[in-house]
Amino acid sequence: MDEWKPNPTVKPHKKRSWYLAWKYKLMNQRALRKLCQTGAVLFLLVTVIVNIKLILDTRRAAYEEEEESAQDYDDEMLNVEVPRHPVSNKKVLDVEVYSSRSKVYVAVDGTTVLEDEAREQGRGIHVIVLNQATGHVMAKRVFDTYSPHEDEAMVLFLNMVARGRILIFTIKDEGSFHLKDTAKNVLKSLGSQVAPFLSWRDMWTFVGKKGGEVYGEKHAKSPALSTWGDPVLLKTEVHLTSVEDAECHWPDTELNRRRKRFCSKVEGYGSVCSCKDPTPIEFNPDPLKDNKVFDVPVAVIAGNRPNYLYRMLRSLLSAQGVNPQMITVFIDGYYEEPMDVVELFGLSGIQHTPISIKNARVSQHYKASLTATFNLFPDAKFAVVLEEDLDISVDFFSFLSQSIHLLEEDESLYCISAWNDQGYEHTAEDPSLLYRVETMPGLGWVLRKSLYKDELEPKWPTPEKLWDWDMWMRMPEQRKGRECIIPDISRSYHFGIVGLNMNGYFHEAYFKKHKFNTVPNVQLKNVESLRKDAYETEIHRLLGEAEVLDHSKNPCEDSFVPDTEGRVYVMFIRMEQEADFTTWTQLAKCLHIWDLDVRGNHKGLWRLFRKKNHFLVVGVPASPYSSKKPSSVTPIYMEPPAKEEGAVAVPAVAAAEQT
Amino acid sequence: MQKINKNVVLALLSLTSLVFLLFQLYYYKFYLSQKNGTVFSKVRGSQSGQDSTRWHVVRKFLGLISSHNIPVYLIDPLILGLVDKDIEQIRSSPDGPSPECKYFCAPRDFTTFALLDKTWKHEVGLFRTAEKMGFQWLKIINKDPRLDGMDDLSGIEIPLHYIFKLASHAIHLVVFYERSGNYLWHGPLRLKQHMDRKFVPFRKLHFGRYPGAYEKPELLLVSIDDLKVQIPKNPSNFLEEMSHSRFLECRYREARAFFQLYPDDASLDAVEFRKKAKSLLHLAALTLNNLGVKFWLSSGTCLGWYRQCNVIPHSKDVDLGVFIRDYKADIIPAFQKAGLPLKHKFGKVEDSLELSFQGEDDVKLDIFFFYEEDDYIWNGGTQAKSGKKFKYLFPKFTLCWTEFVELKVHVPCETRQYVEANYGPDWKVPVKLWDWKSSPSNVQYNGVWPVDEWDDVIQVY
Repeated sequence: MDEWKPNPTVKPHKKRSWYLAWKYKLMNQRALRKLCQTGAVLFLLVTVIVNIKLILDTRRAAYEEEEESAQDYDDEMLNVEVPRHPVSNKKVLDVEVYSSRSKVYVAVDGTTVLEDEAREQGRGIHVIVLNQATGHVMAKRVFDTYSPHEDEAMVLFLNMVARGRILIFTIKDEGSFHLKDTAKNVLKSLGSQVAPFLSWRDMWTFVGKKGGEVYGEKHAKSPALSTWGDPVLLKTEVHLTSVEDAECHWPDTELNRRRKRFCSKVEGYGSVCSCKDPTPIEFNPDPLKDNKVFDVPVAVIAGNRPNYLYRMLRSLLSAQGVNPQMITVFIDGYYEEPMDVVELFGLSGIQHTPISIKNARVSQHYKASLTATFNLFPDAKFAVVLEEDLDISVDFFSFLSQSIHLLEEDESLYCISAWNDQGYEHTAEDPSLLYRVETMPGLGWVLRKSLYKDELEPKWPTPEKLWDWDMWMRMPEQRKGRECIIPDISRSYHFGIVGLNMNGYFHEAYFKKHKFNTVPNVQLKNVESLRKDAYETEIHRLLGEAEVLDHSKNPCEDSFVPDTEGRVYVMFIRMEQEADFTTWTQLAKCLHIWDLDVRGNHKGLWRLFRKKNHFLVVGVPASPYSSKKPSSVTPIYMEPPAKEEGAVAVPAVAAAEQT
Repeated sequence: MQKINKNVVLALLSLTSLVFLLFQLYYYKFYLSQKNGTVFSKVRGSQSGQDSTRWHVVRKFLGLISSHNIPVYLIDPLILGLVDKDIEQIRSSPDGPSPECKYFCAPRDFTTFALLDKTWKHEVGLFRTAEKMGFQWLKIINKDPRLDGMDDLSGIEIPLHYIFKLASHAIHLVVFYERSGNYLWHGPLRLKQHMDRKFVPFRKLHFGRYPGAYEKPELLLVSIDDLKVQIPKNPSNFLEEMSHSRFLECRYREARAFFQLYPDDASLDAVEFRKKAKSLLHLAALTLNNLGVKFWLSSGTCLGWYRQCNVIPHSKDVDLGVFIRDYKADIIPAFQKAGLPLKHKFGKVEDSLELSFQGEDDVKLDIFFFYEEDDYIWNGGTQAKSGKKFKYLFPKFTLCWTEFVELKVHVPCETRQYVEANYGPDWKVPVKLWDWKSSPSNVQYNGVWPVDEWDDVIQVY
C-alpha cells in the first residue's frame, strides 16, 4: 500500500490547476477549453477520492479479517484446557504395594491407585491390572477369598486378562481360607513362589507380568491362628514396553479403532479384546418387518456396574429390530468404565451428577434420564426404559412393535412391561400370550410421554424423599387404576446380583428361575383382546371354559392340578375385600413365585401356568369374577404362619430357596 | 509561453490520474484474485469470467455427502434468493440441463448447507473421505441445549457446525436439531481457544452469529447449474423466516440459582396450575398461529420464562402481547371456537385494547395489544368500575424465539429491559401480591374513558 503514499501530493496540483483554470478563464473566454479543463480537474478529484476510499476499504477489510473471529465468534467461556501430562517416555514405573490386616494400598509412580482401610470391608485379595505400555490402571477387583466361590471368580478374571499385562496382588485381612488349589496354581503359573503355601492370615504382595517376568513378591507368615502376619511393603520397578507391543494388530476399521481404545483402557471383558478372533462388537440383527418401535428412544439406566452394562448392551444390540441411534445410556455418576463400555459399542452416553442418597439417588437418576430422553427425542410419544442388569430377549422389539398401539389408543393402560413378576420356569408357558395386570412390573418397560410429562414429572418425588421410584409409580395416586400389559414369558431377564436392593440369596430365590423368552419372531396372539372391554369378554370366556379344580385338595400339592396339558383350570380362594391378599400370599409362597407383595393381579384374578395348563385363581368374594364360582365350592383359605417378629421377608426367602 | 505551460500541466495531470485509475483497477483485480485463488482452471466454457471454483467445490461436497447417504439441503441465502426468482422454472424442469452457471458461480467465500442431526449417524468415515478428497474440515461443538435445562447432566457436546474447505471456497454445514416444541434449532458458532481463527472468514458466515429457530421445512429436489440439490420447497418463506430466526435459550443457570434461593412450589395446586397454564398456552399459540398473528410472552408469563424457565405458579393467568398492527377481528371468534369464551374486552383498536379469555377453571388468558411510538412501545389498561385508563411503557424491543413449556414462542429479545420496565429492578424477588394498577414500575395514569364510550370500551362478560 506504500504505492499510494504519493497520493496526497496530488492535492496541491489540484489546487493549482483550479487556480490556473480561473486565471485562464479570465484571460481566455473559450468555452470548450474551459470545459475540458474543469473536466480534467473533476476527473482528477474523483480519482483521488476513489483512491482514498479504496485504501480505507482494503485496510478495513484486512483489519476485520484479523479481528472477526476475536469477537462474536469467540466462545465466551474460556475453556482453558488443562495441559495433559505429556506421555512420559519413561520406561520404568515405581510400584509400591502394601498388605496388612486393616489396610492395603498400591501406589504407581507415587500416585495412589488403591487405598482401602475401611473397617469390615475389602477383605481378601485385591487385584490391579496395569497397562504394560502406559502404566494406566485397567481394572481393579477384590475377591473375598475368605468366602467360598470367590476364588473361582478370581480365576475367571485372571484368565480373561490379556497376556503381557501387569498384575498387582495384595491381601487385606484374610485371603486364604477359601483359596482352593486351582486358584493357587493359577497364581503359581503367574510366577508367584508363595501362593501355593499361602495360609491363614498371611500377608502377601506380588507384582508380575502375565505370562512373563516377576517384578517382586513379599510375604509375612502369620505366627499363630489368632494373629495376623506383619504388614508387608513391596517396592519394585516395572519396565514398560512399547505401545506397539501392548496392542493387538486388528485390521484398521472404525470398529477396531473403538475396540482398540477400549482394550487399551480396561481389562476383564474377555474375548472382546482377544488379538485373535475377538468377539464382534457390532451385531446387525435382522431388522423387523413393519417395526413400529424403530423410532422409539431407548433409555438405559446405569450405575457403576460396567460388566453388567457390557452384558446388557450386547443383548440389547443383538435384539431384532434394535435401532442403536435411539439408545442413550444414562450413567449415574462420573464413572469412566461404564462410559468406555458405551463408547465401545458406539452408543451415546450421558453422565449424571448423583443427587441425594440410596433410593432417592436412583429415583432422581430416573427422573433426569427420562426428562433428558424426551428432550433429546422431542418427537417421541414413548420411551423404552431399561436397566443395566437386564438381558433383553431377541424378540423384545418385536413384542413391543406388536403391542405398542394399545398404549397409544387405550387410555386405561399405564405401561407395557417386558417382565412378568409371576413368570417362573414352572409358571409360564406361552410366549404368544399377554395379560393385563394392575401392578407395574418395570424391568424393561414402555412409558408414554404424555403420562410422564403431564402427570409424573411435575410431581416426581423430590431428592429428600427416600422413595423407590417404582414403588412410587405403583401408588394408587399415580397409577389411578390403570393397568400394564405384560407377556406370560418375560422378554427381559434380571441377572443383577449386586445392587441397591439386591443380594445373592435374594436373586437366587426370586429371579434366577425366571423364564426368559429365547424364541425369535413370536407372533403374539389376540393382541386386540387386551383392550379394556375386550379383555373382560376374554376373561369371561376363559372362566366359562375353565374346569373347577378339586377344592378339597391342598393347592400347594402338585396333585392339585391333574396331569394334563393345555387345559384351563380355575380355583377359588378367599379374598374378603379388594386388599385382602392373605390366602394369595400363602399360595404364592408355596407355589414358589413372587410373594413379597402382590403382583400380577387383575380384579382379584391371577393367571399363570401349572403343569402346562392355564391356571386361574379367583379371589372370592372381592373379585367381580366370583359369580363364576359354583355354589358347591368353598373358597380355599390358607392361614399365614404365626408371625415372627419383624421378619417378613426372611421366611419367604427361605421357602423359595427350597425349590 | 504561459498558455503552453498551462496546457502541458493539464495534460500531465490528466495522464497521472489515468495512470492512477489503471493502477487502481489492477490493484483491485489483484485483491480479488488473492481472495479467490486460482486452483481450478476455468473449465466450464459457458461461464468464462465467472468463478467456477465454487461450483467445483460444491459438486465435490455433494458427491462426498451422497456417497455417505447424508441428506443435506441448501440454505445459502444468496443462492436461495436467486433461486426464488426462478422458482417456477426450476420446479417445472427439475432435470433439465442449465445453459449457464447462474447460481453456484458467483464468487463467494461460502456456500451454506443444512443437515438434520437425526438423519445421520455421525460416522467418522465421512471425514476420512473428505480428507482424501482434499477437504480441510473444522467441527464446532458445544453443549447440548436440550440437556442444558437439567441440573446435573454432564451435557454431552454436540456438533453444531462443520466447515469443509477446499481451495478458496468453503462449505458451511449447519447442523439442525429437533427440539421440544416441534421446531428445528441450530446453535451459535463459537470458536474455542485452540481453534484456527483464520480457517475461514467467520464473520461473513450467514449462520452462527446467533442460534436460530426454524419450522421443519418441506424439501424439494431440484437441479440447478447441473447440480442436484435439495432446497426448501418455498425459498422465500425460508428467507423470511431466516431474517428473524434469532433464538434465545432460557437462562437455566440463573433459574437454578433462583430456585436455590426461593424453592419451587411443588404443591398439588401449583402442579395443577402449571399443567393448565401450559395447555392454555398451547391452545392460545395454536389459535394465534393459525390466524397468522404474531405474539409474545408478556408480563408474568414472560417474567416466569426469564426468571425461572417455568410458569410462575402463583400468577394465575397467562399473558401474551400482540402488536396492534397484527390485530385481526377474527381473534375473538377464533378463541371462542377453540373453547375460550371472551371474558372481557377493554379499550378499542385505536387505543388501549386488551382482551381476556376464560380458560379452564379460573385460568385466564390475557392478550395485551402494544402500540408503537417513536421511542417507546406501550400497552393500555382499564379499570372496569371507574373507567380509569392506565398506560404501561416499554423501551423498544424486537422479537426472538425461545422454547417455553415445550412450545416455540416469541419473547422480546431485550428481555431484561422489558421485564425491568414492567417489574422494576427487583424483578428477581417473587412478589405474591401484585396490583396491576399500582405495582408495575412503568405504569402511568392515562385519564378516564369518556362515559359515552363505556359500553364499547368496557365489556365484561
